[in-house]
Amino acid sequence: MKMTSILARFAGALALLTGLTACAKGPDKTPLEVELVQNLRQALQARRAARGEKPARPALTRAALDATVKGAFIEVTIEESDVFAYLSRQVSKHDDFPGTVEVWRSEDNVNLAMRDGVLVATRGMPNDLLAASALVHAGGPKGPSGNGERIYEIAALDNESYKLSLVCQVEDLGVKRIEIVELTYRTRHLRETCEGRGGQAESLAGSQERNRVVNDYWIDSRTGRIWQSRQWAGPELGYLRIRQLTSG
Amino acid sequence: MGLSVTTTRQYRARAVLTGLAMTAGLLQAAPVLAQSKPFAGQSNASAEEAPRYKRLPAPSLNFYGTSGLIDMPSAEMQPDGQWSTSFSWFAGQSRYNLTFQATPWLSASFRYNGIRDLSGTAFSTYYDRGFDVRARLWREGHWRPAVTIGLQDFAGTGVYASEYIVATKSFDTPALGSGRSPGRLKVTAGLGWGRLGTYGALGSLAGNRTGFTPGGTGGSLSTESWFRGDVAPFGGIEWEINDRWGLKAEYSSDAYLAESRDSGIFERRSPLNFGLEYQWTPGTRIGAYYLYGSELGITAQIQLNPKHPRVPMQVPALAPVLPRNQWATESAHWGQDWAQSSASKRQVRDLVAEALKSDGLTLEAITLSGTEVELRYRNNRYRSETLAAGRAARLIANVLPPSVETFRLVPVRRGIGLSTTVLRRSDLEALEFVPDAPDALAAVSTVTNAAPLAADAILSEELYPAFSTSVSPYSSQGYFDPDQPFRLDLGVDFAASYTPAPGWRIAGAIRQRLWGNIANGRASNSVLPHVRTDQAEYAQHGTTLNNLYVSRHWQPGRNTYARVTAGLLESMYGGISGEMLWKPAASPLALGVEGNYVRQRAFDQRFGFRDYQTFTGHASAYLELGKGYVAQVDAGRYLAGDYGATFSIDRTFKNGWSVGGFFTRTNVSAADFGEGSFDKGFRFRIPLDWMLGKPSRNSFGLTIRPTQRDGGQRVAVPGRLYGSVRAAHRLSLTEQRARFWE
Repeated sequence: MKMTSILARFAGALALLTGLTACAKGPDKTPLEVELVQNLRQALQARRAARGEKPARPALTRAALDATVKGAFIEVTIEESDVFAYLSRQVSKHDDFPGTVEVWRSEDNVNLAMRDGVLVATRGMPNDLLAASALVHAGGPKGPSGNGERIYEIAALDNESYKLSLVCQVEDLGVKRIEIVELTYRTRHLRETCEGRGGQAESLAGSQERNRVVNDYWIDSRTGRIWQSRQWAGPELGYLRIRQLTSG
Repeated sequence: MGLSVTTTRQYRARAVLTGLAMTAGLLQAAPVLAQSKPFAGQSNASAEEAPRYKRLPAPSLNFYGTSGLIDMPSAEMQPDGQWSTSFSWFAGQSRYNLTFQATPWLSASFRYNGIRDLSGTAFSTYYDRGFDVRARLWREGHWRPAVTIGLQDFAGTGVYASEYIVATKSFDTPALGSGRSPGRLKVTAGLGWGRLGTYGALGSLAGNRTGFTPGGTGGSLSTESWFRGDVAPFGGIEWEINDRWGLKAEYSSDAYLAESRDSGIFERRSPLNFGLEYQWTPGTRIGAYYLYGSELGITAQIQLNPKHPRVPMQVPALAPVLPRNQWATESAHWGQDWAQSSASKRQVRDLVAEALKSDGLTLEAITLSGTEVELRYRNNRYRSETLAAGRAARLIANVLPPSVETFRLVPVRRGIGLSTTVLRRSDLEALEFVPDAPDALAAVSTVTNAAPLAADAILSEELYPAFSTSVSPYSSQGYFDPDQPFRLDLGVDFAASYTPAPGWRIAGAIRQRLWGNIANGRASNSVLPHVRTDQAEYAQHGTTLNNLYVSRHWQPGRNTYARVTAGLLESMYGGISGEMLWKPAASPLALGVEGNYVRQRAFDQRFGFRDYQTFTGHASAYLELGKGYVAQVDAGRYLAGDYGATFSIDRTFKNGWSVGGFFTRTNVSAADFGEGSFDKGFRFRIPLDWMLGKPSRNSFGLTIRPTQRDGGQRVAVPGRLYGSVRAAHRLSLTEQRARFWE
C-alpha cells in the first residue's frame, strides 16, 4: 500500500517535471536534463509524424526529369529496407590514387563517394564505410577491372574502425540492355566477387567464417559510364542499388 | 577585397536549389509507366554472407549476478566490457547485482541484498552490501575446461562470504528442428569455501573460519579466512537448447545455515536446484527456478556492452572539401593582400564563425596570417574531440581564402586552449576519400600543446561577454538507509552563468524541490566532524541556493593549467579553491595540486555558514595506462581533517563510457569511521549519445558508496581541470582518429 502511494506520487512528480518547459539559452553546454526533455519531445513528434505512410516512390518520367532537374542525379536504394534517396553530384576530384572521385549528397546530409563508379565511402549513416580501395585503373574504362585485394575500413563499435581485407575477382557477364526511366542503354555487366575471412575484430562475426561480397556494375559499352550498380556498403547498410537518373 | 575572399558558398547554394527543384518536380510526375525490372541479373549475394557485426554471446548469470548456474558460479567470463544488472529473488531474499567485466579475464560485482526476517538483526528486512571479484586462470581449450577463481562478498559484513575455484567445459549440441540454431551444453564443477563449503563438506584443507555474525562493522578484507575451513564440491549443467531457451540443473554446496537453520526463513530439503531461462532480447533474459526442494525463484537480467551502442551513432555528413584549384582558378584569388587589412580579416572571421555555427561549434578566437590560421573553437556538441577537430577543419577549409595552407586547431574549454592539432589544408583536400583515409590523415597531422591566446587574435563578437541560463529538472539520491534503501528528491534547477572574458565565469544555481524523501533520512551517528553525513539536515529546505561562485581558468605556461574558484562551491561548502595541473599534450602522466579553504554552509543553503571550517587539499598524479585505463592517486588532507590517500582506477571507453572504483585510507581508525571501516565505492558514466545515437556531450554519471561516512571526504568543486584536458590531448585524439572524417 505504502509502495503504491509512493509510486503514484513519483509518477505525478515525474510528469510535472517533464511537462515543465526545460530550456537553455546562451553559449554554455545544455544541461543533461534539458537535452533529455528535448529528445523526448522530438521522439514524440517523430512518432506522431511516422503515423503517416512511408513515402511512396515517385513515378519518374523522362519528361519530368528533363523539365525540372539540372545537374547530375543518382537514385540510391538501400536494398534491405527499400529506403531510397536522390543524390546530387557535389564534387568531382582527383587525388593521388587512380580514378576520379565523385561525391554525391542527399538533401538529408548523407554523402556517398565513388571512385570511377566504385563506392569508396559513405558519410552520415550509422557505422559508415570510412574508406575503401577500388580496383580501378588510371585512364581505363570506369568500373573495376582485373583481380586484386580490396580493403574496406568500417566505423564500428567503440569509436574505432575495422579493416576488412577481401580478395576480389572481376568477371565480364557480357552485354546487357538496361532501362533507366525510359532510356535504354547498351551496357557490359561486370561482377566483382570478393572473399575473405572476417576482419580483425572479434565482433566482426566469422573471423573463422568465409565472407562474400558481390558487387554488380552495368557500364555503358560506348562511353564507359556506369549507369547502374549494386554495391555493398558495410555491415550496417548492406547492399545499395544505385542508378544514374541524369548525367548533368 | 571582397572578391579575394573567395568562398564556395555560391556553389553550394546552387546544388541545394537544384535538389529542391527536383523533389518538387518528382512529386508532380506523371503516372507510372511500365518499366522493365530494374537490376535484373544482379547477383544473389545477400548481406548475410557479407561480413557483419554480431554481439558476442553472453553467458547467463546466476542469483549473485555473475556468470553461473542458479545459485552456484561457473568459470565463464562475460564479453569484455559487459555491464550486467540483474535481480534475483527467492524465499524472501532479494539480490540486486551489478557486474562489470573489467578485462577479458577479470570481473567485479557489487551487490545490494535484502533478507527478510533474518534472526540476530534488529531489522524486519536485513539489507547488506557486498563486492565480488572473479579472475579466470585460463580460458577454455579444445579439451581443457576454463578455470576461474572467485571471492564472493569479500569486503562487506560477509553474509555471503565465500571463495571458490570452478571449471566449466562446453560442448556443441545439434539444433532441435530445422531452422533452429544449434545448442550448447555446459558442464561445471567446483570447490567452495565459506558459505559454499557448508553442505556436503569434504573436510578442511587449512585452518578454521568463523561464520557470519550480523552487526559487525565490515568493510575490511577478511584475508585471514579466505580458503580456510570446510571445503565442499558443487556442480551442475546448463543446456542452451537454442538462442532463446536454456535449462539449468545444479547441486548446491550452500546449506543456507543463517537463513534456513537459524532463522527458519525457508526449509532446505534438497541440494538440487532446477531452472528454465528465456532470452527475451539480446540484452534481457528472464528465468524461473525451483530451489532447494521447497522454493520458487525468479531472475531478470539486463546486459549492456559499451562497445555495442543501443543505436549506432549517426552524424550528418558535411559537404566534401572542395579542392581550391577548382574554385580559385585565377592567380589573383591566391593573393595574401587580404591579410593586411583588419576589415578583411574580420570578414573572414565572420565567415568562419558562421560555418562553425552551422555545425554546433562556436568560434572563440581566430588568428590569421596570409598562409596560416589558428582557430580556437568551443565544442559543445561532439564528445569526441577528434570528430570536432575533423569537422572544424573541413568547415573552415571551404570558407578560408585560398592562400591559407596551415591549420592550427585549438579546442577551448572554459577559456583555456587544450591542445593544438596542426595539419595542412592540401592534405584535407587530397586524403578525404583515399583508402586508409583515417590513418593517412593521422600520419600527416601533429598534436602539440596549446599556446596561450595570441596578442593579434580576433575574438568572437558573440561570446564575450556572454550570458547563459537554463531551467531543468534535477534529482538527487540517497542510498542504503536501512529503513528505506533508496531515497530521492526531485525538483527544478534554475542556473545562470555570466562570462565577461575568456576564462572568467560567474555562475549560480537555485533549486526548488517539488517532491522528495531524503529529508526523512537517518540522523548522523558519526563521531567525526559531520562533513558529509548531515545529508538529511541539508534536505530540510525546499528552496536552496545550490552554488554561486566566480572562477577563473587560465594557462600559466605551455604545459600547465590553473584554476581559482571562490564562493559557494557546492551545497555543503563554500570558500576558496585553487588548482594547478601539469599535463604536456603528449604525456600519459599528469600531476596536479589543489588547495581549498572551506567553511560548512548552513543547512538552509542560503548565504549563512556553520562553525566548521577547514583546509583540505591534495597532490594528485594521473596516469593513462593504455587501453583506456586511467589510474589516479590523490594524497593530502580531507574534509574532516584526516590525512591519507585515495587510489582510483577507471576504465574509459572511447565513446565516453567509464566504469571505475576507488578507495581511501586515512588516519581515521575503522572504529571512528564507522560502518564500512574506510571510504570506498565505484562510479560509472553512460553517455547520452551512446543511448540516442546522435551527438551529445552529456552523460548519466553516478558514484555509489556502500556507506556514506565522514572519513576520506573531499569538497566538490565545479570545473576541475584533468578530465577536459585529457580528452583533448594526443593519446585521446589519436585513439579516435577513425572519427576525423565522419
